[in-house]
Amino acid sequence: MGKYILRRLLQAIPLVILISMTVFLLMHLIPGGPLAAYESPGITAEDLERLKHELGLDVPIHIQYWNWLMAIVRGNWGTSIVSGRPVLTEISERIFNTLYLSIVAFIGSLLISIPLGVTSATRQYSKIDNIATTIAFFGQSIPIFWMGLILIIIFNVMIKNPNTGGPLLPGGGMSTIGSDFSFEDRLRHLILPASVLIFFNLGTHVRYTRSGMLDVLHQDYIRTARAKGLNKRTVILKHALRNSLLPLITIIGLELPGLFNGALITETIFSWPGMGRLFFNSIDRADYSVMMGVLLMNAIMIVLSGLLTDIVYGFLNPRIRFD
Amino acid sequence: MKTQSQIQKMLGVLFAISLILTACATPAPTSAPATSAPAATVAPAATSAPAATAVPAGPKKGGKVTLAVWQSPVTLNGLLGTQTVMSVVLNLVTEGMTEVQPDGTRVAALAKEVPTVQNGGVSADGKTITYKLKEKLVFSDGKPVECEDFKYSWQAIMTPNVGIVSTTGYSSIETVDCPDPLTVVVKYKSFFAPYLTLFNGSDLIPRSAGDPKGMKDWAHNRKPVGAGAFIIEEWKTDEFIRLKRNDKYREAGKPYLDEVVVRIVPSSEVALQLVASGEVDIMWNNTEADIPQLEKMAGVKVSAPLQIGGERLFLNMAENKDPSDPKKPHAILSDVKVRQAIAYGINKQRIIEKLLNNKAKPGSSELNAGYFECKTIQAYPYDAAKAKSLLDEAGWKPGADGIRLKDGVKLRLKYSTTSGNKLREDSQVLVVEDMKAIGIDMFIENAPSSVVIGTWDGGSPRRHGNFDIIMYTTNAGIDPHSQMVNLWSSANIPSVDNKGGLNYTRFNNPKADDLLKQASGEPDPAKRRDMYCQLAQMTYDQANMIYLYQRSAIDSYRDRLLGFTSNAWSNTAYNAKEWSLK
Repeated sequence: MGKYILRRLLQAIPLVILISMTVFLLMHLIPGGPLAAYESPGITAEDLERLKHELGLDVPIHIQYWNWLMAIVRGNWGTSIVSGRPVLTEISERIFNTLYLSIVAFIGSLLISIPLGVTSATRQYSKIDNIATTIAFFGQSIPIFWMGLILIIIFNVMIKNPNTGGPLLPGGGMSTIGSDFSFEDRLRHLILPASVLIFFNLGTHVRYTRSGMLDVLHQDYIRTARAKGLNKRTVILKHALRNSLLPLITIIGLELPGLFNGALITETIFSWPGMGRLFFNSIDRADYSVMMGVLLMNAIMIVLSGLLTDIVYGFLNPRIRFD
Repeated sequence: MKTQSQIQKMLGVLFAISLILTACATPAPTSAPATSAPAATVAPAATSAPAATAVPAGPKKGGKVTLAVWQSPVTLNGLLGTQTVMSVVLNLVTEGMTEVQPDGTRVAALAKEVPTVQNGGVSADGKTITYKLKEKLVFSDGKPVECEDFKYSWQAIMTPNVGIVSTTGYSSIETVDCPDPLTVVVKYKSFFAPYLTLFNGSDLIPRSAGDPKGMKDWAHNRKPVGAGAFIIEEWKTDEFIRLKRNDKYREAGKPYLDEVVVRIVPSSEVALQLVASGEVDIMWNNTEADIPQLEKMAGVKVSAPLQIGGERLFLNMAENKDPSDPKKPHAILSDVKVRQAIAYGINKQRIIEKLLNNKAKPGSSELNAGYFECKTIQAYPYDAAKAKSLLDEAGWKPGADGIRLKDGVKLRLKYSTTSGNKLREDSQVLVVEDMKAIGIDMFIENAPSSVVIGTWDGGSPRRHGNFDIIMYTTNAGIDPHSQMVNLWSSANIPSVDNKGGLNYTRFNNPKADDLLKQASGEPDPAKRRDMYCQLAQMTYDQANMIYLYQRSAIDSYRDRLLGFTSNAWSNTAYNAKEWSLK
């Protein structure tokens, strides 16, 4: 097992380098570049040439890439072209905000969707199944942007807090600005963005739990277990559930790196200072070093979560061997 | 197995539910603010003037105001950043020699008075500017504001390899001398016409900021120290910037507010709702499309001063098939009659009514606001008949399909702008319609802004000259000198040897070059104004640049906030020291 993990990790190194090389090239194919932001009627050609040199943009691209790679190997992620701050500072300021929101939403969604999906599958075509699949369908189809805005209009503009007369729920941000830490305050700020994300995730999670369960319920060994006289509950929870989760685990494995990426639209609607906006802004401003930093982190996360998924498969299904 | 009919039934139910939901929810954004207030109908959209907001009994002290901005500053070192939002925040924190009022006039801030030739602040040749500082000025950290700080700021701006955005003007300075701590003598190598635009606002850096060579790592970049009304207390990246009152501010009793919070709300749709609910007091940078919604909100006011410049069409007067000779005339657009026909043929008012909620002005010239406004120039009126007769005179006769021909060549022009900008794309459609009506076939070919307005090496058509018509917005600052030189000097026609040239219409006129040369040596702003006005008239007659519309700088705010005015010259929060709460 340890040998397997080590081998996978070693295989990942050239993969990550290859990814970074491709991304670096693609990035430079985007027209414009970091200097576009500086172009204004007031700026002279001399200023532009000077800035190009000062920002290190006048060296050939393969040398730029080599410099970047060598710096990364030494643990230096570089500094943002736009803000001049270290890329790691830029990332670390947001990654916890992002994880805080995405993990709450992720766990919240699983806590709701696994029971819902299982119930839905065991009572296929019942009322509860129809309701669950409808919710899942809506979660997938309603644009996050629209839903977030509607929630703000309802809970911030329309409904007032009877005690203070102010809005019932804050219309964004992580906490009340300028106030001391308060658990209740944090929670109030978390409710709307987390609900939007949970609702969105439900779609996927319920559908995969349900279809995984349905597959398993039609297997011979479930019939055998039922024939042995086991009660339904034991059959579902002990025999069926573990196997039925395989498709969901695959999906979760694919979603894990996403937890670090942040949710751009939710962050934008709820003024959440997360990774999604950092990445979006870095593309917008052609801030190559921040873009590379985020993408590198992403590539590493994808490789790691792929590995993690494979290991979890082994626990859920002992027929899978690592060698 | 699920049957076909079951699926159909379910889809039917879903469709019905979604219809009901949309029906219930969609009107909410507009109806919510209106119903929540009894006096919704009278909410005025006042374009407030400074006088109207003065409070007779003396403003109330204390309180906190939240300002929503859609973008986060990346740095608060004004020398290193380009974002408008950065200037908004720095307006709260910094002050320099002089500042510009909403009407475009300049008043003294840290200087005792605005230097002029008359008061002896400007030498006869205009090359030496002497400022006298007010007495006992201090930065928010208590250190004195002295001549040495201005000298240091100039040196900091001229530091190589730290990424200073613009050294314009400062690079023309020979020395900054300090005969005494309160006198700043700036000697220029050659006359720099917009000298009053230097040493203002965030260009003043206290010498305690550190070694300019290490500017990239200055603490000042995140927490600038200035002589302005507020102090940065806390900055949470992408979230908010909290500022508190500067107790050492030079005007006693001001600012009135204790705290200003600049909150980053990236979605303008959300920010509008937060203004409606009162969670934020000011929304920076509204668009014309927001105004109907804002007017319906009770307790919300709009401030919308006109901005200089605006959206315009650059007509390329040089050959665009082979741009190797940047001065070779364009096959169609080199004829002034064709250009004027286009100018007369565009119905600007229709664009403003249909796309800008009637909240903009038809574009007239480069100098359409402020001290340097050229008041004699009126926008080209819409006159299709005149446009047609001009084209007839130019020898372009209508063909079978209505499109005009001359010597077998069709009057067909490429019309480009930045893609993804809805307002621009919609106005293009209207212009193309107008042009079709007078027999000009314009076809749209847009590209991302980074391509359209990109660099020479990036192959930007605007620089290489391989375009017919390009449309976008640019504007002169409070002093239009550099804009005039950039746009109209023949020395600024882009070419291989002049990759940074900005004269995209390839305007090439010795008389214009003469005027620009004269203006570059004229220390009296009033005389300079006349010269620019002549120049603007010249390009107006040539119609090489067709100004579509002039927009306003729109902000909205809750009426509990008093003293708020927008300043199209200096961004929101320029007068935050005057703000108070009801």
